[in-house]
Parts: sequence; structure tokens; C-alpha cells
Amino acid sequence: MSDGVFVQILDLVCGGLLLSGVLMLWRRELVAIVRLLVVQGVLLAALAVLLGVREQSVELYLVAVGVLILKAVVLPGVLHRVLRDSGDAREAAPLVNVTSSLLAAALLTLVAYAVSGPLVALAPSATTRALPVGLAVVLLGFFVLVTRRHALSQVVGFLLLDNGIAATAFLATSGVPLVVELGGSLDLLLLVLVLQVLAARMRLTFGRTDMDELQELRD
Amino acid sequence: MTALGGLGTAVLLAPLLAPLLAGGAAAMVGWRRAVAWSAVAASVVILASGVLAAVATTDGSVLVVGDLLRADALTAVMLIVIGGVAVIATWSGVGYIDQELAAGHTDARGAGRYGLLVPMFLAAMVLAVLASNLGVLWASIEATTIVTAFLVGHRGGRKAVEATWKYVIICSVGIALAYLGTVLVYYSSQHSGMGSQGSLDWTVLVAHADRLDPGVMRVAFALLVLGFGTKAGLVPMHSWLPDAHSQAPAPVSALMSGVLLSVAVYALLRYRVIAVAALDPGFVRILLLTAALTSLALAASMLIAQRDYKRLLAYSSIEHMGLVVLGAAVGTPLAVAALLLHILGHGLAKSVLFCGSGQILALEGTTQISGVRGLLARRPVLAGTFALGLAALLGLPPFSLFVSELALARAAADAGLGWALAVALVLLLVVFVAIASHGAGMLFGRPPAVTAPPGAGPATAPVPTAAAVSSILTRTLVRPQALAPVRTAAGVAPLVTGLAVLAVLGVVAWPLDQLLRAAALIAGTP
Amino acid sequence: MNLISVGLAVVAAAALVGATAGALAQARTRPLVAGAATAVVGLGGVLAGVAALGGQTWSLTIANLLPLAETTFAVDALSGAFLVLIGAVAITAGIYSVGYTSPGGAHATDEDDAAPGHDEVVAHDGVDAHDDVPGPAKAAASRTAQAVLPLFAAAMLLVPAAASVSTLLVLWELMALTSLVLVLAEHRLRRSVRDAGLWYAGMTHAGLVAIMLGLVVLAAGAGGESFAAMRAGSAGLSPATASCVFLLVFLGFGSKAGMVPLHVWLPRAHPEAPSHVSALMSAAMVTLGVYGIIRVGFDLLGGGDGWWWLVVLAVGAVSALYGVLQASVAADLKRLLAYSTTENVGLMLIGIGAAGVFAAEGNRVLAGLLLAAAVLHAVNHAAFKALLFFGAGSVLRSTGLRDLDRLGGLVSRMPVTTALFAVGALGAAGLPAGNGFVSEWLLLQGLIHSVTGATAPSVVVALSMPLAVAVVALTAGLGVATFVKAFGVGFLARPRSVAATGATESPLSMRVGMGLAAAACTVLALAPAVAGAPLGRLLDVLPSVRGGAPLARSDVSLRLAGIAGSMSPLLIVVGLLVAALGAAALVRRVTRGAPRRATPVWGGGSTRLSPRMEYTATSFAEPLTRVFDDVLRPEKDIDVTPFAESEFLIASISYRQRVPDRVEARLYPPLLAAVGRWGQWSRGIANGSVHRYLAYGFIGLLVVLVVVGITS
Repeated sequence: MSDGVFVQILDLVCGGLLLSGVLMLWRRELVAIVRLLVVQGVLLAALAVLLGVREQSVELYLVAVGVLILKAVVLPGVLHRVLRDSGDAREAAPLVNVTSSLLAAALLTLVAYAVSGPLVALAPSATTRALPVGLAVVLLGFFVLVTRRHALSQVVGFLLLDNGIAATAFLATSGVPLVVELGGSLDLLLLVLVLQVLAARMRLTFGRTDMDELQELRD
Repeated sequence: MTALGGLGTAVLLAPLLAPLLAGGAAAMVGWRRAVAWSAVAASVVILASGVLAAVATTDGSVLVVGDLLRADALTAVMLIVIGGVAVIATWSGVGYIDQELAAGHTDARGAGRYGLLVPMFLAAMVLAVLASNLGVLWASIEATTIVTAFLVGHRGGRKAVEATWKYVIICSVGIALAYLGTVLVYYSSQHSGMGSQGSLDWTVLVAHADRLDPGVMRVAFALLVLGFGTKAGLVPMHSWLPDAHSQAPAPVSALMSGVLLSVAVYALLRYRVIAVAALDPGFVRILLLTAALTSLALAASMLIAQRDYKRLLAYSSIEHMGLVVLGAAVGTPLAVAALLLHILGHGLAKSVLFCGSGQILALEGTTQISGVRGLLARRPVLAGTFALGLAALLGLPPFSLFVSELALARAAADAGLGWALAVALVLLLVVFVAIASHGAGMLFGRPPAVTAPPGAGPATAPVPTAAAVSSILTRTLVRPQALAPVRTAAGVAPLVTGLAVLAVLGVVAWPLDQLLRAAALIAGTP
Repeated sequence: MNLISVGLAVVAAAALVGATAGALAQARTRPLVAGAATAVVGLGGVLAGVAALGGQTWSLTIANLLPLAETTFAVDALSGAFLVLIGAVAITAGIYSVGYTSPGGAHATDEDDAAPGHDEVVAHDGVDAHDDVPGPAKAAASRTAQAVLPLFAAAMLLVPAAASVSTLLVLWELMALTSLVLVLAEHRLRRSVRDAGLWYAGMTHAGLVAIMLGLVVLAAGAGGESFAAMRAGSAGLSPATASCVFLLVFLGFGSKAGMVPLHVWLPRAHPEAPSHVSALMSAAMVTLGVYGIIRVGFDLLGGGDGWWWLVVLAVGAVSALYGVLQASVAADLKRLLAYSTTENVGLMLIGIGAAGVFAAEGNRVLAGLLLAAAVLHAVNHAAFKALLFFGAGSVLRSTGLRDLDRLGGLVSRMPVTTALFAVGALGAAGLPAGNGFVSEWLLLQGLIHSVTGATAPSVVVALSMPLAVAVVALTAGLGVATFVKAFGVGFLARPRSVAATGATESPLSMRVGMGLAAAACTVLALAPAVAGAPLGRLLDVLPSVRGGAPLARSDVSLRLAGIAGSMSPLLIVVGLLVAALGAAALVRRVTRGAPRRATPVWGGGSTRLSPRMEYTATSFAEPLTRVFDDVLRPEKDIDVTPFAESEFLIASISYRQRVPDRVEARLYPPLLAAVGRWGQWSRGIANGSVHRYLAYGFIGLLVVLVVVGITS
């Protein structure tokens, strides 16, 4: 494909990633948040496909398929199960209100752009110029982890973080060696399964999923 | 670089296969006496292969198996650390799980899961130190989060679940940051003149280190320090440590404190070698110094008014890791040799203390410091080993932590970091007084009037504590694998062994000295 | 065959064998085994020390001991002096401990019985004090305490032999650890033992931190950690670094020596330890602090700046005065002796400080004399302090009491102990027939001649030395009062309590131990010239005071070299004896034919005199308390309880007086309170909220990223 089309689609995909991340800060219905995660998974797979077309690499196609299955199908499926178990439809009021969250998101994106200077400068190209998006999604994911109360939101925040890292990996290095990719994906899957089991156990033991109220272990 | 043929391969593969076999046995058969001891045997295999690797690599040579596994002197030291701590923890774990089964705190499924997960944990840690690819190193450290998640929650109940959740969340975030750092390192390696197919192999990266882009490596190294620092218990992502250690079963806490933290620091050491060549060494030093001194300050602050003795031991681990990273910040060969000796000594001392605290918990039923009084008068042998363990932890001779701290101090002064050393020593003094006063409250004085059966008797007669407990509680839920109750002498044996090894290490330099210096040449920068 | 190596080998071997044997032996033979081992250890030390003082030297480097460190030993005359000192104390303490730790003697029945004036209500943890609690003899005879005793003596002996930073610090900490275990031997008897142990452990560790920091910086600046390297390389240090090193080392070693304001562990730990351990600690261990200051200041740093030694002098003066003041008003015998140790350490530091000032000015004669006086005072102090603690231990074992107010009348019940205690008290008081007099005389000679000597003194000297003379004089005067009180009130007159009435003489081994110490005191008092040549050799080791033989040409009289002054203690004593005998003979002759009549003494209108009406220690010291009340600030508590029916009829009055340690009260509680507040505040850091924990990480990440972004 031609350079111009490639750059446009790339920017579209990256913009979508960032936007879906910011939207997660805005919505409070848990179902909607999981749906946004599915969107992100699809966009990530699209990114991998795009890069695969660019680099003419079969590996990247395989990775794209793997990403699609894992992040757009399996993980959201696990999250839906958690959602069903918890029975909550809406996230409780976050620790930082929505307006401030959106402002913070803007600030974090700026920080990401500032920090990525040397990263882009190493190998300037259309792909690497989109690196800040990956970093911004990482910071947004961390922010969600810090400010959202529900157990599911914490898992979502972690997945957002991981999506950001995956996006950075794709944009910077066109994916990491296959071994590491496989290991990372397997670890991620197991981790989310563990979190699902834990969330279920939490619900059983505590009867609620507001993480901020879990303060029995303290000094 | 020699490969020593078959023996080299065996030395590298045995410590991986042995724990996998032990775990497999537990998965198939559940918790049995033979399974319990197979975990101990696997730990002995790890220790033995560490010793053999040490013999082979002290002169600077390297053992390899293909492109995946690699052992140099630094790896040999870490294998010895993992093996040594694992021997004490698994040996103590045999009696621990039996006690838990007898007392009804766990069931056959829980014991079987314990028997499976502990060797898996050991296998992951061994893979981390044997890996020649930094990506595999990352993946195995990540794997330990998953493996230990259910170990931390072994006991069940509100606090255990809460601790597990916090542990998993915080560690996963940290490891994710480390992953990002690894990705950035790979990115910079792709543009460092080794072709567009970059590499995550440590030897290759070290060879090309001066051509790695400093700007990218700065961000990468900062992320790696934050990420692996999470697993090492460094500020700011240290908060999982006290919760996880206080809730996990005592042998698991011993393994986490002794092995997991050490391997995380090992990862930092490997990356430091690359960073120092790629970046301005001053930046690396300042970053590591900040992490070290803030961790020391945090540990000292939290120990002053501490009320729980397991959390006390956890914060002490943070303090010692801060000291170790201070040595990494100094970075000279003497400092690296000292910090490696300190990792070994701390691992052994912490495992003795955690396993001892597990027995105290079984005795007293509380982890509150104020709930334990006059232990020396009631249980001289157990309290004596606990007291000696505390003496070792506080850095008193003849145990090896004193000489390693002294060598660290000398290295720091030689490198011109006298001010940092002064701050660290003052904080260590605060820690000393805090731990000594809490420990003294538990150990000395007259026992309280109303206690459990005072039949401690003379120090040499082993009193079966588990038998006493089981005679009080009734056996209702019959566990098919309920084993004979453990006698106190058997419970104390691993602790005494650990202390003896610590004392020997602190007094006799040979043969560890040469190995440490060889490892220091690999990881240190003059 | 180098005698020094033989002696040190005996030390090491006897310690290891003794420790093992003490741990394994039966309770019956354990005291003998441990005591004999300690005595043999001391013997080895004395052998090595005498050989070193006779001019031999020895050094040894062991490869592959002590990981990552250089293990070097070296013995010269300076080490030798302290080897002899510590070895001799160890011999006597070992012999003494055989009897002390044997079963028998009174049990300390109640926490309040042994020490006086506890005005805090002590909780008994719900256990009746008589239940299942071993007496002091049994506690000190426990397996751990007995096994550790020879190790403690050996560690103390090896410290002066260490010749590298690592060796010194390892042995120093071993000494601290073993002494801590021994201090805590009686932890089940009294709660105060545990507190004493904690204070001791904390302050020892603080001292170690200071010493470690100073020596490590010195080693880094000089380019090597062995003493030889540091000696050679210390000239290359910048003055600021050298001063920092000296001050740190001074603080660290000084805290071990017990100088004010770092002395607070002394009056706690020494009374709570078993008496043979108190003797070892007070007589031998504190002198190692003095050794450290001499070794680093004069030897490794090559003399240093004059102002360093002025600081030492000032601290010494304050310690001497404060120590003797607290001792003079103390009613607990062991606490009195502990504060007396502070006083004597202060005198040693005055000597060392003045020596340093003169050495910096180049006046070798005076510097040598003063340093010799300080070291000789250390030896004398070791002799009489060990003897005094042994005596206090005998009294404690026999009566269960340390409270002077309740003792008395021991002269007829424990005659040997009383006589030997008198010898020690004479030495501690600094009166002419005692050994303390000799070293104080030398000290005064040095200080006085600084201003009246041939050369015109510098401004500094002219201002400070007369003050030092005044301090020494005041200290000596108060010292006399203190020990008259200790001996007279504690041993003479009639017993003031039931326990004192039931006192019996100590076993033979304890008497032998005390006798040996008394013999040493007497020799040092009457024939101090034996120390002349060794002191000269000691001075030759240190470059800045080399060349002066301070007691040259001394025999029956002490003659000072280089300045005009001489004194003969032997002649003084002989003269006193002749005068006393002559007076006694005269009195006997005059009253030979006179009739004798027995009649009651006028008792103020009442003939119901009871021993309780005698002078107690508190009343003896009352004038001093009044005169010095600005410094001492005694706390008085008067509690008047009237009858319920009428407030003018008094049912009972309770009076309590306590002299707190004011230096400690001013400095330590605020510091400890601040640390406590810091700890309480920090608990909020881990408040349990996972969001807060993650926020710590998030903020850390952002800060690091921003910093990296800004600085790249």
C-alpha cells in the first residue's frame, strides 16, 4: 500500500486507541467499559495487520490473529463472567470525578508526548511518530487503576495498561520476538483468569467489590 | 567459553527439571510425605547444581545450553542463593503443612496445591537466572506472580484474599512496566548496528551496549528499575510486601523474601551492566541511590511503631533490599561482591526467621507482637534460634550480614558516596533499635501467668507442639493425608542448619570469596 | 618463639574450648569450667601484653578468613598495655566467677529489694515473684551466660591486637554481642534488666555506626584498610575529612568509654549485669574506648590538630565532674561505681586531651607525661574498679542488696570483703596510700607544669590547663566524699536491715579473686616505678610523643624526666604507718594505768538507739545534694496522709527523693519522643487502600518520567 494511505490508516487506528482509552474514563456503565475494551482489541489487531502488510511479515499476521482472539474475544468473555458474578451494572463514583479525570487524561497525554521525544528521535518514521499514543494509553490505564473502585475496573485498567504496552511494542519494534510475545500473552491470560477467580472469591468473602473498602490489612 | 559437554548441560537442566518433577508428582498424587520430601530433594538438586556451576565458572568460563540457557559466575551465585533458601523453606514446609492439616487450617486440596505451586515457583526462579534472553527472564518473573498468587491466599479467609488481590494487582502493574522497559531496550537494540533484527540476548546487548541510544535507554532503565523494583520491594511499589508476607504461609514468605526479591535484584544487576555502558553512569547511580535510600527510609519509618511481627520481618526485607540496591548504585566490584554475599546472607536469615515465626504463630495463635511474651522462658530452643536469627538480621557477627554490610560500607566510602553511606547507616541504626526493642519484648522477661501447657521442660526434650494442639482440637474433617504431628526438634532443625551456615559464611572466606569476586567482575564496573 | 603469638593463641584456644565446655558441662562443674577458662584466657593476654611491653612486636595476616576483608593482627607496646590490663582483670574475674556463680547466697526475692528508690510501680506480669524464678547466682550460671564468658574475655583481648578496619570492627561487635548476652543473663528476675539491655544495645550500635563511618572514610582516603596503610596514607587527607573522621571516631569510642553525654547506658547496664560481668565491663571494656581514641588519634591520624584534643579535654572535664557528682549522691552501690567509672574515664580523657594539645604544639615532654598518666590511670582504674565491683558482688550475693541505705555492719560479718573493699575504695578515692593517687598526681604534675614550666605557654594552654587543674582537684575532693560514703555507710557501723544482719562471708574463690585485685592495687600504689619502662616503650610507638621516657630514673620515688617533680608513695605510706603506730603506742602508754568504765553513750535524752538512726548514704550525701542542686535537681516527693476524721492529725508521711540523670533527661526523651511520633505518623503510609498504594507507584512513575524527560 502507498505511504499516504498507510499513514492515514495508522493515524486512524492509533487515534481510535487513544479515544477508546479516554472514553473508558468517561463511561460508568461496566458493560460499556468492557465493550470499549473489545474495540481496543480489534484496533490492536488491525495495527498488527497494518504493520504486517507494511513489513511483509507473516509473523505479524499470526500475532494479529492471536491478539484478536485473546484481547477481543477471550478476555472480554472472562470479564463478562466477572460482571455477571458481581451483579453490579454501574461503577460507583470514582475517586476522582469524571471532569477531573478527563483533564488528567489530557495532561497524561501531554506527558506521554514529552517523554517520547527521544524514542521517536531514534528512528523517525510514521510508525514511531505514533509512539506517544501507546505511552499515553499506558498512563491512562494506570490512572484507571488508581481511581476506579470496582474490582472489574481495576482489571480493565490493567488490561488498558497492557494494551498500551502492546501498542508501543508494535509501533516501535514491530513486535517483540515470538517467544516473548507468546510468553507475555500466556501470562496475561493466566493473570486475568487468576483475577477472575480472585474477584469471585472476594465477592464471596466480602460481599462487595468496592476495592477501596478493603482496608483490613494495615499498619 | 567452554561448554564442559554433558556435565555442563546436566548442571543447567537438572535444576529446572527437578522442581518440575516434584511439582508433577504433587499434581498427580496430592500431598504425601514422599511428595513433601521430593520438594526438599529438588531444592538440594538446585543447590548442588549451583555449587557445580560455581566450580566450573569461578575462573570466568561460561556454561551454555544452546541459545536459551547460560550460566556464568553470577548465575552460579544466584543458584546457590535459590537452592540454599529453598532447602530451608521446603524442609520447614514439610512440618508446616503437616501441622496445618492436623490443626484443620487447610484441607487435602490446599495441601496438594501447595505441593504443586512451590516447586513451580522454584522452577520459574531457576529459569529466570539461567535464561540468557532478557525476555525469558521477564516472562519467568512474571510467571511467579501467577504461581504465588494462590500460595499467598493459601490460608483462605478475608485477610488472605485481600492480601492476594493487592499482591496480584501491584505486582502485575510493576511487571508490566518492566515489560515496557524490555520492549524499549529491544527497540534500541534494533538500531544499534546489529541489524534490524535486534536482540534481547544479554551477552549480545552487553557487547553492543555502547551503541545503544542513550535517550531511549534512559526511559527504558527508569521503567525497568520501577518494574523490577516492584518485585524487589523497592519504593514506590513496595506496598504488596507486608500484606503478602504477613498472610502467606511461613515457608512461602521465606521463599518470597529470600528468593523472589533476590532474583528481582539480579535482573536489575544484569540490566545495570548494559545501562552503565550505554548511559551516563551518574544517571544510573542517582536513580539506584534514590530507590535505595527511599526504601531504607520507608522501612525504618514503618518499623518504629510496628505491631505485627510478620510485617516487621517484611519491612526488614525492604530495608535489606534497599541496602543491596545501594551496593548496586555504588557498582564497584567490591560493592557487587558484598551485595551478592548480602543477598545470600539475607535470604538464609530471613528464611530462618520466617519459618521460626510460623512456629511461633502456631504456638501463640497471634501475629501481634504484644501477644507474645517471655518466649525464651517458655520455649528456649525455638526462641533461641529466633533470637539468633534476629541477631543475624540486625547485622551482628559472626553471621555473614555483618561482613557484607561492612564491605558495602567500605565500597561506598571508596567510591566517594560517604554521605549516602552516612544516611544509610543512621537509618539502619533506627531499624536496629526498632527491631531490637520489639524482639526483646517478645523474647525476654517472665512469661505471662496464664498460658498454654507449661510443659516445656528442659531444652533438649522435644515437645510435640502439633500433638498438643491436636489433642485440644477434635479431628472431624478427616483428611486422607493427615500425617503424624511434628516434633519441635524436627521443626527447629532447618533453622539451626541455616544459622550454622550463616555463621560459617561470616567467618570463613573460602570458597565463596573467589566465586563472589568472579561474579563481581561480571556485574561490577570499576 | 614469639611470646605474643603464644599468648594470643592461648587466648583463642582457651576461649573456644572454654565456651564449648561451658555449654556442655553439668550445672555442678559449669562455674569451675567457665571461670577457669576465663582465667586462662586472661593469662594468655597478660603473657602477650608483658612480652609486647618488653619490646617485642608481632603481626599476622590471615588470608581467606573474613570474607571480602583483610584479616590482620599486630601487637605493639600500646596494644600490650591494654592486653595486660584486660588480661589481669579477666584472670581475677574468672577466679571470682567460680564462687559467684556457684549455688548459694541470698536470692533477690522482689524487684524492689535489690535496688533502692524505685518510685515507679512495677508490674509483675501476673506472676508472683517467688514462683519459679531463679536467683541471681542461678541466672548468671545458666548455660548461655557461662559459655559466653570466656568468649567475651577473648573478644576484648583481641580488639587491641586488630590491625585492620574489618578485623577491629568484627571483634568490636563480637565483644558487644557477648557482653549484651551477659548483661541480659538475669532477664527473668527484673524488668529493668531488659530495659538496660536495650539501652546498651542501642547505644553500642550507635557507637559502632560512628566508628564504622569514621574508619571507613579514613580507609578510603588513605587507600587501604589495614592500619599500616592508613598510617602511611592519612597525611594525604584533607583537614576537613581528617577532622570529620576524628570526631566520628571520638564519638563512637567515647560512647563505649562512657563519656558524657553518651554515658547513659553505663549506670543502667553495669548494675543489672552479674557482678563479675560488671567488673569486666567497667574495668576492662571501657578502657578499650580509650584505646581506640589513642590508636586512631595519635597513631593512625598522626597527632592531628590541637582543637580536636581541646574537645577531648573539655568532654573529659565534663564527664569527670558530672560522673563524680552523680556518684556522690547515688545510694545504689553498683550505680555509684558505674558513675565513678564515668568520672575516671573523664580523668583519662583529660590526660589524653591535654597530651594531644601539647603534642600538636610540639612539646613532647609534657605530652608524653600526660599520655603516660592517662594510660597509667586506666591501669589503676582497672585494678581498683574490678576490686570494688567484686566487693559489691560479694555483698549482693550475701545479702541480696545493692542499696547502701539498708546495708551496714558488714565489717564484723564479712571481714575479708570489707578489708579488700577498703583497699579498693582507697585507690578510687585518690588518697596517698591508694593507686589512684599516683596517676592523678602524674596528671596534675603535667597540667600544672604546662603553665609554670620553662617555655611560655600559648593562649590556649594558659586558659585551659588551669581550668583542667581545677576540675581534677574538685573531682578528687568529691571522689573522697563518695568513697568514704560507700565504704563507711555500706560496711561499717551496724546493719540497717534484716538481710544485712544475715550476711556471711563469701566463698574462697571470690576472696582469692578480690585478693589478687587488691594485691595489684597495692603494687601499683607502692611501687609505680615498675610501670616506667613499659610506659616509655608505649610512647615510642606513637610518632607525636616519641622520645620521652616520663618516669626515667625512678625507683622508690617517682622522678619525672624533663620537669622538676618527684614523689615517693612508698615513703609516704611508710611514714603514715610509722606515725599511726607511734600515735597508737603513745596512747596505749598514756592510758595504761587508767581505770576503765563501761557506760551508755548520751543519745539525745533517749536510750532507744537503733541502727536505723545511723547516717545512711542519702543523708550523708544530703549536703552535696543541696550545694549542687542546680546541677542535680533532685526530685522530692512528700506525701502526707491525715486521718479521715481530722486533717490535723497525721496518719502517715511518705518521703521520696530521687536524683535523676539530668543530662539524660534533657537529651534523650525528646529525641525518643520525636522518633516515636515519626513512627506513629508513618503508620498512615500503609493505610490499607490499594488505590493509595497504586497511586504511590503512579506518582513515582510520573516523577521519574518527567525528570528523565527534562534532563535528556
